[in-house]
Amino acid sequence: MTNVRIFVTYKQSVFDPQGETIKTAIHSLGHDEVTSIKVGKFFDVTLAATGSDVVTAVKEIADQLLVNFNMETYTYQVMEEA
Amino acid sequence: MLPGGFSYGDYLRAGAIARFTNIMPAIIKMANAGKPVFGTCNGFQILTEAGLLPGALKRNDNQRFICRTIPLEVVNNQTIFTTQYCSRERIALPIAHADGSYYADEETLDRLEANNQVVFRYAAENPNGSLQNIAGITNERGNVLGMMPHPERAVEAILGSVDGLRLFKSLLENGKVRTEA
Repeated sequence: MTNVRIFVTYKQSVFDPQGETIKTAIHSLGHDEVTSIKVGKFFDVTLAATGSDVVTAVKEIADQLLVNFNMETYTYQVMEEA
Repeated sequence: MLPGGFSYGDYLRAGAIARFTNIMPAIIKMANAGKPVFGTCNGFQILTEAGLLPGALKRNDNQRFICRTIPLEVVNNQTIFTTQYCSRERIALPIAHADGSYYADEETLDRLEANNQVVFRYAAENPNGSLQNIAGITNERGNVLGMMPHPERAVEAILGSVDGLRLFKSLLENGKVRTEA
């Protein structure tokens, strides 16, 4: 079994309205040093696979469902193999 | 016709899960055969997620669900969906969405403009942050239309507007012409 965390975010060029709204709230806390906030999401995926099969599966799942490449991009992290 | 709504609770992204429903292969087959396919609101989102229309719909810039009637410009009245409108005509249709901000990269936007695929634009104001004020587009072939506004909610005077009716009349008219031809 392998646990993988897949992170999906807007591309840099895409305006992130949630991030902007949160940044405004952070400024009202007094943290004016915060210049940018980008909101994303992550998926904790457990696979009954190991090694290169994990990479293949994660890429297919991300490419075909989790990510809309018109506006989003992703990274992933293999958390642990057990 | 793909109606509005919030299929699968808009989980993941609006329209992202609906494209896996059993009917989608038949809709894709129809679209590829050149038959008319029309999606409004969630239907538009599903058509982009299914790859039948370019670009994507993201969260409204103001982060809010917007529900009101707004002015639109008919940009292209040469599609099978819009022949009963005048070019550059101003119409009013309701919108009711939280994820209606149209986004596509610059290359895609240039291609949409060059091929006259932008059919409707927000006229007086841009309610959701859509790039180039885009409210509705077709595919390159012109037989698939997606739009965030709801023409089906503007077909009787009692509903506040009849400006949506001619979209369906255009389809009927052009379907008839094609059948007779």
